[in-house]
Amino acid sequence: MIELKNITFSYERREQGGLRNINLTVKNGECILLCGRSGCGKTTITRLVNGLIPRFYDGELTGQVVIDGKDIADLTMYEISEKVGSVFQNPRTQFFNTDSDSEIAFGLENQGMPTEVLRQRVETTAADLEIQSLRNRSLHALSGGEKQKVAFASVYAMNPDIYLLDEPSSNLDMDAIQDLRKHLKLVKQQGKTILIAEHRLYYLMDVVDRIVYMEQGQIAGIYTPEQFRAIEKDERKRMGLRAVDLHEVHPQFTSPGATENKILKLQDVGLYYKKQAIVEHINLSAGIGEIIGVVGHNGAGKTTLSRTLCGLHKEASGQFLWNEKAQDGKERLRRSYMVMQDVNFELFADSVEAECSFGIRNPDKSLIETTMDSLGLLPYRTHHPNTLSGGQKQRVAVAVSMICGKELLVFDEPTSGLDFDSMEQVALLIQKLSAMGKVIFVVTHDYEFVCRTCSRVLHIDHGEQCDDLPLVPDNEENLKKLFSI
Amino acid sequence: MSNGEKRRGLWIDPRTKILLLLLCVLSATMAPSLLYEMLVVALVACFGIVCGKVRYSIIGVIVYGGFYLLTQAVLQMPSGNVQVMLIAFLGLVHKVYPCGILSGIIISTTKVGEFLSAMNRSHISQKIVIPVAVMLRYVPTIREDWHFIKDAMRMRDVSPNLKNFILHPAMTIECIYVPLMMAASKTADELTVASVTRGIENPTQRTSYVRIGFGIADLIVVLAFLAMFLVGQFYGEVF
Repeated sequence: MIELKNITFSYERREQGGLRNINLTVKNGECILLCGRSGCGKTTITRLVNGLIPRFYDGELTGQVVIDGKDIADLTMYEISEKVGSVFQNPRTQFFNTDSDSEIAFGLENQGMPTEVLRQRVETTAADLEIQSLRNRSLHALSGGEKQKVAFASVYAMNPDIYLLDEPSSNLDMDAIQDLRKHLKLVKQQGKTILIAEHRLYYLMDVVDRIVYMEQGQIAGIYTPEQFRAIEKDERKRMGLRAVDLHEVHPQFTSPGATENKILKLQDVGLYYKKQAIVEHINLSAGIGEIIGVVGHNGAGKTTLSRTLCGLHKEASGQFLWNEKAQDGKERLRRSYMVMQDVNFELFADSVEAECSFGIRNPDKSLIETTMDSLGLLPYRTHHPNTLSGGQKQRVAVAVSMICGKELLVFDEPTSGLDFDSMEQVALLIQKLSAMGKVIFVVTHDYEFVCRTCSRVLHIDHGEQCDDLPLVPDNEENLKKLFSI
Repeated sequence: MSNGEKRRGLWIDPRTKILLLLLCVLSATMAPSLLYEMLVVALVACFGIVCGKVRYSIIGVIVYGGFYLLTQAVLQMPSGNVQVMLIAFLGLVHKVYPCGILSGIIISTTKVGEFLSAMNRSHISQKIVIPVAVMLRYVPTIREDWHFIKDAMRMRDVSPNLKNFILHPAMTIECIYVPLMMAASKTADELTVASVTRGIENPTQRTSYVRIGFGIADLIVVLAFLAMFLVGQFYGEVF
């Protein structure tokens, strides 16, 4: 049993994410979903339960967290870790070993479990979670979805009573999310207690027992799944929540469809990595202002395609035509810009304004001014990019692309881990760029977002281009099938 | 290996590796001649090859060979400021090179879990071991981060090549340094969180999925490096 008693908490040096007067009791074997806008405090609750607050994150804490009758203030981090297993959002940085077997065994090694028992446990973990194919692999070579499975397995191997998951689906494709759901159902059957903080709600509706909705650090409502489903669509949007049932999400068909002027053409393009074919025979033409969603499984080659479109990946065959003229890598590089999933990598300067003119020999002051204005960045012109929110950083990157006069933009999973409001803002931003006449590619797993923005969906899997679906009413069925809905 | 895991090359205990590094540092700093240094590098490369790092080791030797020839050429040069400068620079390279290449081999062949268990067995304080383990784990992450940063720079027309480095050194360094630091602090936090929530601080005797312990191989490599060091000290005039 987890009891949170009169918890009030505020982070040091940070406004968001604090908690006020939280009282919550989670019974053994119960599965609780924590939801709400970014910064509402749902992640903070998970950090209280696994002891990271106050041991790792500093701040002002009053109240008590009690697990199975013990105040966790009296326990050490490793004692808590035997009761509470945590899975985090970022698959890249939550493993500690370089191969999957060692990683699954890692927690058990720390507990000092005898080697023979430990091997047996790794064996059964892989069998229970059906991940034998991931055994004894280099973790760096796995896709995001596979890494996340190994992370779950390493917690499962420790056999904790409580599972904590903090936005575990953010980087997963649809199939990997279904596997995650299966794994959650399995541990629930075993009578474990589960606490999940998550933006994506649809996959959890038949797993959870109660849904805790949070607003500005307080619990604003507790629902059963039935009550939660009954919330009206408009009300749910006001609450800043994502869709509960993807069957009810329909494409909006608002984006400009195929225009006559096909400015970009790909003719029989093949992508290779160290002479190994990744994707072959891509044929595509895109008009000015088109927004093309690129979908496919984790590891299908979407990133390689994006990098090739931008001229960053060189091993490619076939023709890239822009205005009927063949383009080599250098020309593509000059014309295109990629907004990365982790935007931090593309921000170099010490203020937003300096960022906008960074690396440009004779920057056009008025262009910088108007661009910052149109993206709502003027109030932050002197701020250090690192102090901005994720969405603001994304806009700074977009501003850079506009000032450099880039005509083709690629967004790599721009909505991973975003709540409804932020997702809508990204959608508006991309539509604005489309209206300005850019050709836009969006790599994404986010069905809601695709419905909201894209005019076409390009599906890549099994080394080839499987579909090129225009988003017209006739194609809704196919689109749903593509996202396995 | 006993657990049926495929491992390329010989397995050496992490503690032995630390001892080797120590011997290598001593040999390199107290080297009597250039030829001796070349032999130290060759020994390190042999060690690398038996540990399964074939390509890395061969490239290491070839690059060192280049430095060796360059040094010989500089020594033939008429003496002057340029020669003094080059000799000072090359002298530093020769002292650091063998240890650098050995460190590379050690880091890439040591698993974090092995390292933790070995250190735990030798009763070395967790206050030292855990930060080093996080560091070991962080090294491959830098390589991944570097790929992203390189892409970002190229899209901004600030290519990370030698020409730009010479023309705009400050800007090029800023481009690499700033995002790398930003990513580093976040990555280090996330790695630490992932490890403490899985009980890395547990003081009980740690066990290991992979069997660790000293074997005959450890003895042989230590003897080889020790012999190298002693030969340098007592029969230095041979070279």
